[in-house]
Amino acid sequence: MTQSIEPIATAARTRDRNEPSALAVSVRGLQRRYGSRIVIDSLDLDIRKGEFVALLGESGCGKTTLLRALARLDTPDAGKIHAPERPSVVFQEPRLLPWATLWENVALGHEHTIGRDGAARALAEVGLAGREDDWPRNLSGGQAQRVALARALIHDPALLLLDEPFAALDALTRIKMHGLVKELVALHQPGVLIVTHDVDEALALADRILVMRAGRIAASFDTEDYAPLALRPTLLAELGVQRH
Amino acid sequence: MADLTSSRNTYASTPPPRMGVSKHVLYRWLSWTVPAIVVLLWEAAARLGLIAPQVLPAPSSVFATAANMTQNGELFIHLGVSLLRAAAGFVIGGSIGLALGVLVGFSPFAQALLDRPIQMIRAVPFLAMLPLVIVWFGVGEVAKIFLVALAVLFPIYINTMLGIRQIDPKLMELARVIGMSRAGVVRRIVIPGAMPSILTGVRYALAHAWLALVIAETLATTRGIGFLAMDAREFLNTNVILLTIIIYAIIGVVADALVRMLESRLLSWHANYVKGARK
Repeated sequence: MTQSIEPIATAARTRDRNEPSALAVSVRGLQRRYGSRIVIDSLDLDIRKGEFVALLGESGCGKTTLLRALARLDTPDAGKIHAPERPSVVFQEPRLLPWATLWENVALGHEHTIGRDGAARALAEVGLAGREDDWPRNLSGGQAQRVALARALIHDPALLLLDEPFAALDALTRIKMHGLVKELVALHQPGVLIVTHDVDEALALADRILVMRAGRIAASFDTEDYAPLALRPTLLAELGVQRH
Repeated sequence: MADLTSSRNTYASTPPPRMGVSKHVLYRWLSWTVPAIVVLLWEAAARLGLIAPQVLPAPSSVFATAANMTQNGELFIHLGVSLLRAAAGFVIGGSIGLALGVLVGFSPFAQALLDRPIQMIRAVPFLAMLPLVIVWFGVGEVAKIFLVALAVLFPIYINTMLGIRQIDPKLMELARVIGMSRAGVVRRIVIPGAMPSILTGVRYALAHAWLALVIAETLATTRGIGFLAMDAREFLNTNVILLTIIIYAIIGVVADALVRMLESRLLSWHANYVKGARK
């Protein structure tokens, strides 16, 4: 049983020659068990820098476990993960410190290197210019999640992991957030993995949509190969939704 | 406590009920009427000779005693000695309680090792320790400070530990993702997160410290507010006895106000402590 998590440095160096396809993350033969239940089963996955990948699947299919493994919050039982040492994560909840101002939240843990000005620029990027001394209690749900995005992107991560980040937002706010995230990803060019159960969200955001089933990637679709609405019924069928 | 990591906007509290300024002021004055009437009736009863001065002297005569003792400086010496004892005991007991609370709150190992013995000692009413304390330390300053420290230790310990336990594990996970140092986690997450609970502990501790001091100062002393009371009892000087009781009360109120001030400074981020939201 082999199990290792190595920084991407070595893998990236060899691939940097053909720059546009430099990998943000590479997974081979990943396996994770809870007791006798296999949650992730010999899974392979590559995400290039600048590529936006959506991971769809029913509850309990292992998609969140995969994201947590990439974030180093969960230790796999076998397999190799080549991932950046510190990927950025946006969770379903904003997870802001209520006792810290917005700029302190954005720069959290790196206040001295980032500084107030750096954090203010990141806040401006997510449409919260001039709010750096405000408190989290004065934010709406969407605004709080934008601060969480700023906190994730301020480190210019090679890999950005989004764990159902918009699930708790109302429909209109969610659509606005989709636009913002696409803009920011185009600007910072991280490899992105978004875990979601929302087919429309995956269609709106992703370059590539993966459907996960029983711990494996069951299907993969490049969105540019399909007409805007053609993929939707296929994805729903993959997820076990019967259309009448 | 507000839900600290919710994605919904639950940080804001409901605004305090709106009241006209004049009505607010009126109610404020109104709250003093009953105490004022009681004092006036008391004064009248004393002057008319309805109450014997040895039982309950008139408020004016207690006030005169206070003025007299203030003038010759006697009051300040005793007050100073009492406050010094309370402060020394508070700092010693508070530091130990805080350190133990952080340790046990943080580490399951420390909890397994220390929590049970601490809870066992806590089960003893600290005043029951008095005879033992006298045997150990005599009736000098050490015994008094020890008693105060003992009274302070447990409320601070329990509330610090609980405060740390209540910190959202999701925030600790975030700290891991961001790559915060252990010191950073303590400074940015653990201490501020536990602060509301720690300050509640400080409030309880102050009340306990005061009680411990009153008892400790009835032990053989030649200085302190407690000595004043004991000395006055010997001579049936009810004026002074009453004065010492009032002083204890005033210091209790002042201590409580100090903690409230600390709360509004340290917890300004917390919806419950936003100015005016608290009664």
